[in-house]
Amino acid sequence: MRLETVGKRYGVRQPWVVRDVSADLPAGRLIRVEGRNGSGKSTLLRVIAGVTAASAGRVCGRPARTGYVPERFPGGLPFSGREYLVHMARVHGLRGAAGTGAVDEWLDRLGAAGYADQPLRSLSKGMCQKIAISQALLPRPGLLVLDEAWTGLDQAARGALDAAAMERAATGGTVLFVDHDAARLAGHADERWRLGGDGHVTVLPGDNAPRPGRPTAGDPAGYPTADDPADDPAAGRTVVTIELAGVEDGSLSSLATLPGVLACTGTGNRVVRVAASHSDDVLREVLAWDGVRVVSVGPAGDR
Amino acid sequence: MTALLRYQAAILLRSHRWIFPLIAYGLLISVGAAGSSSLAETLDWSAAMLVPVVAFLTRAMLTAEPDAARACVAAAAGTVKAQLATLLVALGGGALLGIAGICFGLLTAEPPTTATAAGATSKLAALAGHPGIVVAGLLTTLVCLFVGSAVGALFNPPLLRHPGAAMLATLAAAVFGLASDVSPAGAALRFTSQTASPVAAHWPGSFPLAAAVCLLAVTWAASTYAATRRDTRSRAEG
Repeated sequence: MRLETVGKRYGVRQPWVVRDVSADLPAGRLIRVEGRNGSGKSTLLRVIAGVTAASAGRVCGRPARTGYVPERFPGGLPFSGREYLVHMARVHGLRGAAGTGAVDEWLDRLGAAGYADQPLRSLSKGMCQKIAISQALLPRPGLLVLDEAWTGLDQAARGALDAAAMERAATGGTVLFVDHDAARLAGHADERWRLGGDGHVTVLPGDNAPRPGRPTAGDPAGYPTADDPADDPAAGRTVVTIELAGVEDGSLSSLATLPGVLACTGTGNRVVRVAASHSDDVLREVLAWDGVRVVSVGPAGDR
Repeated sequence: MTALLRYQAAILLRSHRWIFPLIAYGLLISVGAAGSSSLAETLDWSAAMLVPVVAFLTRAMLTAEPDAARACVAAAAGTVKAQLATLLVALGGGALLGIAGICFGLLTAEPPTTATAAGATSKLAALAGHPGIVVAGLLTTLVCLFVGSAVGALFNPPLLRHPGAAMLATLAAAVFGLASDVSPAGAALRFTSQTASPVAAHWPGSFPLAAAVCLLAVTWAASTYAATRRDTRSRAEG
């Protein structure tokens, strides 16, 4: 996916909110969009998600399945949470059992299953936000756009959304997010897009540990390629815990021998301690295994 | 598209936004039936009343979805399809009202012959001899349905966002659409009333229908174009 000199203004006499943005959004990239209030972050995300058309330039190669989570999701629809999600699953192209299965899975992962049959109007802000997140994740989207989607979530749901965002990126999706918390997904962003007040975007390298075999040059201007992880003194110092469900006993040994895995504990849900420099590779690997789900991802000592 | 139509139809049904147009249309055609002397007049009246009712039904659909929910659907399916589904569901609801209006006219109006026989069966038997009146009623209803939908699409969000201005403009345009010969609906109705005779078949001509289809296409295109460029920051719509 690619942005070609994209600009957006809401009317011909209005100022440009975003202008002249050219960037590549390759598969598997996790991008943090940052800038002050009113700098055009939400507008840029909406243009990329296809919610509103660009006024100049174009957005090419948007993946077929796109999930967008707005910053606020007021429950103004005459449905229960589950009914809304079943409708959205159909809109995303998931019919019948595939749709209801995905709905149940995401309600469960975000801890919203208990409230899903209540009318949307009666749900709290946090619960509505969980429904909004679920609808975006239902089709396992190739492009996931999160506009302060963490706002109003409880800690467990924040962790589940962190895990879901990393899972999308690890399985070849493109993820863009804005969050007021500077520590959100810290250590995992491949790029940071900084919006100046003038609507221009500066593409900066992310704060994730570099990984071999992964292209990092997304900026046409080219920012310095990160060093090999072995030379990076910061990499490996930080430890990440990944909680996995559905790991069979037979797979334990292959899990323990993955590069970067320090320890593997737990009986039901396995808790894996991984060097931060290898956490994305481990995630990508285990997500390819049958039946394995990521329950949460967090800094070491979190649990 | 089917999924979007189901979603929008469910919003229309579950939000109870269909109740006001249904009651308004029922009252309007009842009043018209009481003042009409022939089947042709009754059918013309029920077609004419479709213009404001469908215009406001279209408004009801265009304002039913909160901005955030609309944005999620737009990302999932595209803004063009989402907007067309909204307009189509309102048009479909209007078509159901139009069919109900025609059935009501056929069952209650004076039969087009002087036969005094009572009962629905004999009325339908009498109508069988005058299919032209029924066909003309159907075509006029179709023209008015399209004009009503066009008025609703043109004078409501996302093209006209201020709620007060939108409602007044919708009402004024519906009245103009019926009163002026410039409008396909006005032209069709004027033609049938000029040639009205209790037993004559009066086909309004293909010109009003073609004009109504063009009007519908242009207004829907404008509404859809505006929907793709909608300022999703504003929350003043509705």
